Amino acid sequence: MGIACVGLAAAACSSSSSPSGNSSASASASASAKPTGTANVAYASSLQYLNEKVVSPAFTSAEGYKFSGRGGASGELEQNIASGEISPNVFQAVGGDNITPLEPKFTKWYVQYAGTSIVVAYNPTGPHASAFKAIADGSQPVCSLFSSVLQTPGLKLGRTDPNIDPQGRDFIMMLQLAQSYCHLPSDTVAKIIGTSDFGTASSSQIYAESALEATLQSGQLDAASAFISQAVQLHLSSIKLPDAINLGSFADAAAYKKATVTVKSGKTYKGSPQVIDITTIGTPTAAGIAFVRYTLSSAGLAQYKAGGFTVLTPTAFGDSSAIPAAIKSELGG
Amino acid sequence: MSWAARAATAASGTVLGEEAPGPSGPARRNGTTPRTVRSVSGLVSVIGAAVIWIALLGPVIALFTHLSWHAVRTSLTAPGALDPLVVSVESGAVTLAVLFVLGTPLAWLMARGRLPFPRVWEAGVLCSLLLPPLVIGLLLIFMVGPYTPIGELLGRVHLSATNTFLALCIAEVYESAPYYVLSAQAAFSGVDPRLEQQAQLLGDRPARVFRRVTLPLATPGLAMGLSVAWARAMGAFGAVVIIAYHPFGIPLQIYTTLQETGLASALPFALVLLVVALPLPLAAYIWSARAGRRRRG
Repeated sequence: MGIACVGLAAAACSSSSSPSGNSSASASASASAKPTGTANVAYASSLQYLNEKVVSPAFTSAEGYKFSGRGGASGELEQNIASGEISPNVFQAVGGDNITPLEPKFTKWYVQYAGTSIVVAYNPTGPHASAFKAIADGSQPVCSLFSSVLQTPGLKLGRTDPNIDPQGRDFIMMLQLAQSYCHLPSDTVAKIIGTSDFGTASSSQIYAESALEATLQSGQLDAASAFISQAVQLHLSSIKLPDAINLGSFADAAAYKKATVTVKSGKTYKGSPQVIDITTIGTPTAAGIAFVRYTLSSAGLAQYKAGGFTVLTPTAFGDSSAIPAAIKSELGG
Repeated sequence: MSWAARAATAASGTVLGEEAPGPSGPARRNGTTPRTVRSVSGLVSVIGAAVIWIALLGPVIALFTHLSWHAVRTSLTAPGALDPLVVSVESGAVTLAVLFVLGTPLAWLMARGRLPFPRVWEAGVLCSLLLPPLVIGLLLIFMVGPYTPIGELLGRVHLSATNTFLALCIAEVYESAPYYVLSAQAAFSGVDPRLEQQAQLLGDRPARVFRRVTLPLATPGLAMGLSVAWARAMGAFGAVVIIAYHPFGIPLQIYTTLQETGLASALPFALVLLVVALPLPLAAYIWSARAGRRRRG
């Protein structure tokens, strides 16, 4: 890139970012040059705070590249990339199933490096706060959350749209697992979410992802679905759930598969551990490679741990020969 | 006349074609070449205007060039695909009714200088125009959420102002109200107060003067204000997505379809939005222009 971007072309190169705009060869050639360019990163909304407030300044300081992020639901971002609407250098998704549809045109690999889990966030000043607090501090069993508290008439529960947001599906799957784990009646989930159609978006409980936590923080909801990373970053009061139901344990992956949600389009999703995956899109750029490498470095993973994520040993999936060498080195490969 | 009203009057005057007769004005009626294109500078003006006009139409042109008619047919014939259209039209109609009933008296009082500290009133209306719609939505949570005094009051009559049709109407009213109130203020400011005074001297009471003199003269401007508010309500998204995710209107249908199945299947709903939202403002424009010409004789 340093060689390619001389004279008048330098400005265009420094503004960066078309995935096809730079070659990996030029990327490696820039190793000794002063880094220029921007890592354009499309990331799952649950990474927004971490990426924009923590990783971005640290990455720019450490690597010299600028950072430009775009948050959204993982499925939405996958659609946007596939349709050519956006052309990021890097894609971070919740779940590899949002990356594999982009193979092999946009990428041939992804690396799994962090995990998160579902919690129930609650309003600490609402009329039902004492019931939630009792469960959060362990003085009441967690199963009472599902058998009674969340079924309290008039309780205001918020969740996201299962058709477009992984968290919306995960929350329903968590309730299904809890129903089984706590040996509750078969209509428990339907009673809690107010419908037996798990894929419907026509429910007064459903909020846009951007509005859900804000509504809870404003005190206008009693409880809401959340990833534990969101609860940590937004300082939400929350109830941690057992591994058997929180979709955050790899040891329970087989049991999670028993929970399913069929959305409006007819597609059925099975429960799985909630992992964060990262890949480059298009021909890797120097800035994009640097961002992935930084994310997978010990410094990057420490930021994820501080943000409430479970840090995993970075593991590559797909065609490992397509992974740029600089990233492979972070995998120990 | 206040600065806001003057600015709005200037804008609506141009829109109505009262100050600057265009191709439909006297020149065309006389069967001659419009004066504006007789000279080179006039031709340059027309070309410049055309460039700006086409640039403004850029997104609409992009819509039509990227629409797949197969996708239009597939998207719009899916079961329930047009339900959001009904929701949008119904909520838009309610919004217009609320704006007319509540916004018209406010605009008249502002235009006639009947309110103390007039700049404060104008600034208040401008505030909701300045705030990003997303922020309006977030602030509406504090105002009408279920645990607020208003929310609890609504709860007593089994109503809710979050994720309901009522919430959708509230969000649309807040997003579109300033457009109507400022346009209506300009329309009332354009009515010569001497005509009202003469009607009063002839014995008409204020309410009758308003009904027989002020309202008819201001109607073209009010119609334009309502049509702009209608277009704003139909396209309202920022506040809507925060407090009224359900039931879906067309903007949210576009948003969710984009996320569910991608751009190709979302774009047809943008076409529906244009087809539904555009006729009313166009009709109001044509009617206002004709009314303006009739008034000029």
